[in-house]
Amino acid sequence: MKRATSDHWLMRYLFIGVMFAFIVIFLIFPVCVVLIEALQGGLKFYFNTLLSTHSLTAIRLTLLVALAVVPLNTIFGICAAWAVTHFKFRGKGLLISLIEIPLWVSPVIGGLVFALLFGRRGWLGPWLDDHNIQILFAYPGIVLATAFVTFPFVARGLIPLMQAQGSAEEEAALTLGANGWQLFWRVSFPKIKWGVLYGMILCNARAMGEFGAVSVVAGNIEDQTNTMPLQIEQYYLNFGLPQAFTLASLLLILSVITLAIKIGLEWRRLAPNMARPH
Amino acid sequence: MSVAVSHISKRFETFAALRNVSLEVKTGELLALLGPSGSGKTTLLRIIAGLEIPDEGRISFVGEDVTEKSAYERKAGFVFQAYALFQHMTVFENIAFGLRVLPRKKRPNAQAVTKRVNELLELIQLPEFGHRFPSQLSGGQRQRVALARALAIEPRVLLLDEPFGALDAKVRKDLRNWLRHFHDQTHLTSLFVTHDQEEAFELADRVVVFNEGSIQQIGVPSELRQNPSNEFVRTFLEV
Ligand SMILES: Nc1ncnc2c1ncn2[C@@H]1O[C@H](COP(=O)(O)OP(=O)(O)OP(=O)(O)O)[C@@H](O)[C@H]1O
Ligand SMILES: [Mg+2]
Repeated sequence: MKRATSDHWLMRYLFIGVMFAFIVIFLIFPVCVVLIEALQGGLKFYFNTLLSTHSLTAIRLTLLVALAVVPLNTIFGICAAWAVTHFKFRGKGLLISLIEIPLWVSPVIGGLVFALLFGRRGWLGPWLDDHNIQILFAYPGIVLATAFVTFPFVARGLIPLMQAQGSAEEEAALTLGANGWQLFWRVSFPKIKWGVLYGMILCNARAMGEFGAVSVVAGNIEDQTNTMPLQIEQYYLNFGLPQAFTLASLLLILSVITLAIKIGLEWRRLAPNMARPH
Repeated sequence: MSVAVSHISKRFETFAALRNVSLEVKTGELLALLGPSGSGKTTLLRIIAGLEIPDEGRISFVGEDVTEKSAYERKAGFVFQAYALFQHMTVFENIAFGLRVLPRKKRPNAQAVTKRVNELLELIQLPEFGHRFPSQLSGGQRQRVALARALAIEPRVLLLDEPFGALDAKVRKDLRNWLRHFHDQTHLTSLFVTHDQEEAFELADRVVVFNEGSIQQIGVPSELRQNPSNEFVRTFLEV
């Protein structure tokens, strides 16, 4: 049966056309610009910029931050989703909403909270100073700010997934004598592993690209606390576009790889038989 | 007495799901728990298995007080109302699960596991089905796999929650006969839940009639029919 409105050819072309126009203008065009501009100065310039100390420290720091943040938020996400689905407690709905806070507030505010906590004149600042612990303007601060911004990503995907699956299989495993550890690794985890991986990939993409929260806590110390997005800004302000675009293109390539993995995963999920272990 | 339930009460918020329930399943007995939907049958079974914590009362298995023990220490064989098979494991792995999670000292080796699982597959008359996934089985086949999985660890008691509930009449009858036969051979202490009185009377040695969270009457089928102890039992059994 045909429905008149949605099947009208003019409407159809208009909607699809608008969608494609948006994608081209806002997604594809900028990506092309970045890549073209990055190669404007020639390959030699491109690689010189990429292999400069500035860039290399930024790349290294970004990877180290992601390396700490992604496992941290994965563990947190699994724990949160587990607690919400398998335990009964008061304030469960509130907890689920709280997890989403980072999606609702500006990352800059997240960064400012950490600055307020750990800064010289902040709540914990004097104590940290006395004990010679450096959090703000250093690696730990950047990790914290990034973790704050990205922490809903794993949990948010897992909660509905685990709630939909319920506790029946876990209960069966318990009556068969499985302890908590066996229960998790043999029963719960296999059911959510693709969801976990998916969340990790999103979390990673967001962690590598985070600018706002990190810029507040990193303090712009050249060759020390600049992550890739911060270094791109530095290049832009101090040298001009070509350097900025060069480093930006690398960040972009990382995103494209992430996207490819994500699409691959989704494709696997749609073909459940392929996801089977045996 | 193999399973003793004494003075169990359970509330969900303000709703009293079980009120002062006491019963015994004698060693080797097949006891049926018969009652209308929502009367608390599943809740009682879950409390016996350790999946739910009672507000009051005690549970013991073969003389051992297990009230404070968790489900994984009690290891009651539990066959769930909705099977609860492990979807990501083959039938073989489902049945082997209880053996694979045994503490290392007691865990049988690979050969012994294979042998035991094959015996159980034979017992449930699905010898060729080990490599299939639960989603590739019919309801009755899933039910039998769930039973084999529970039996693999040789539980002290077997708890069956409406084992034939989701099946059509013909399969129900077949499985019922099969279970009766199985029980006659093994004499495994069993408690099974049903809301079908014909099923309860045909299968069980004794029947417990249950309503609104409390026991109305316990007895052998003929006794219940001849001497219903109150109005509820009389109407429920339509005698
Ligand atoms: N987790 C729970 N929270 C709140 N109420 C519950 C919970 N579990 C069960 N109940 C309530 O307790 C009562 C008994 O439930 P139970 O599942 O034991 O019934 P049942 O006799 O097994 O019924 P059926 O034959 O339909 O399976 C029901 O009224 C149910 O709504
Ligand atoms: Mg029930």
